[in-house]
Amino acid sequence: MNVKQRANNVGTLRCISVFLMETLARWIPTTPEMEIKMLFSRHVWRMAQQADRLGRRARELRAPLHYTRAPRPQFMAALKQLAAVSDSIDRIDAFHAVALPTLAAAYGRYLAETDRLTDEPTVIICEQALTEIATMRRERTDWGSEIPKSRAADSHELAAVRQALAATEEIVDHSEQAA
Amino acid sequence: MDPFETKVVRGVTLRKDPARESCFTVADTDDQMISWPDWTDQSKRERIHRHMNNEMTTTEVAAQCLCDFPDAPWELRMELARQVWDESRHVMGLYRRLKELGGRKGEFPVANFEWTVSSFLDSVIGRITVMNRMFEAGTMDLMASLPDGWRENGDPQTAELLEAIAADEIHHVRFANHWVHKLCAENKRNLLKVVQAVRFLDVAQKALAPPPGTTNLVGVLVENVAQSAPINVADRQLADFTDDEISVLLKQHDLEFLAAKQGARA
Repeated sequence: MNVKQRANNVGTLRCISVFLMETLARWIPTTPEMEIKMLFSRHVWRMAQQADRLGRRARELRAPLHYTRAPRPQFMAALKQLAAVSDSIDRIDAFHAVALPTLAAAYGRYLAETDRLTDEPTVIICEQALTEIATMRRERTDWGSEIPKSRAADSHELAAVRQALAATEEIVDHSEQAA
Repeated sequence: MDPFETKVVRGVTLRKDPARESCFTVADTDDQMISWPDWTDQSKRERIHRHMNNEMTTTEVAAQCLCDFPDAPWELRMELARQVWDESRHVMGLYRRLKELGGRKGEFPVANFEWTVSSFLDSVIGRITVMNRMFEAGTMDLMASLPDGWRENGDPQTAELLEAIAADEIHHVRFANHWVHKLCAENKRNLLKVVQAVRFLDVAQKALAPPPGTTNLVGVLVENVAQSAPINVADRQLADFTDDEISVLLKQHDLEFLAAKQGARA
């Protein structure tokens, strides 16, 4: 992966992190359950920090500070579908069981493809993000009965989101128009 | 910014309340609330319950800023994201204490005045002016004396919790001060937005102020449970209010002798 491709990946991961931060923020006043609001609030700060670290790294990769690059249109459409989920349990699942694993997979792919020595600053950011993703997923269960468990079967809305994100094989858009 | 639903209270149009569980009764005005001037167990729970909802409201205001103003400077958005996390920890700390004291969420009515006013404003500078520089700074003033009140009434645990919360609030006020000054210096039109925001808050507060003699749901005179405190000069200085701003506030509160002291110290 060359420097430009690294910057494209970092900018895309930042775009997704900011989108998820905004999605959680939008859900906080519109979700009735107090404990769920507070769980989302914790995640807002983690997603913001991930975006911030990626944004600073972008400049080191010859891109502007806080460079943000839209992912492929199909993936962006799936993210917007996720953001439109309205049921409280579906929102928890959409974030914890769909968005976070998707994001973790994207970080994992980056780590598998980049040169761990010359791109070590990005590697550290990715590894830290993976640790935080695991923490966020664990917090859902750490809070015990305060946070409702997933339904036995996905609602239609959640199933559609899961399917839309799974259908996107490639996230990063390397075309000029995405820049 | 997406369009939002509104409500009208005593002739003032405000943003509609954020979502609350059905266990909560949401009030618009003080006469629909419950509070007592004494320190019985029930009164203690109500104080914590009210504070818990206020912190929840602040979480929601900061969160709404993140989605309503995507073009705000990234560094300001980071501060707001951090505030969302801080306030959520305050909520959960107060909720934990409420349960330790035998309380439950929804035990008393709640009001979301700070949300309905702050989130009605259409600029990020207006919102941080009202939410952080006015509401949160007001809380900072109260926090100077509240922990001692809890200690005097046999509850050092709640006093310590409030002190931890107060330390966080200072930074929330400080970053708002920093950004209000910075944004106004960059663009004079932002000054107008600040003035509009302060005026809107003033109109809303006057409209919703209880007439003399108003009682709450348990028959207590609202004026006997209204929370007010002198300007907390030390914490306002920590929060980067300028000496001039503090002097103006002291004069507004008839505390010019303190302003003179500040001048002598400087």
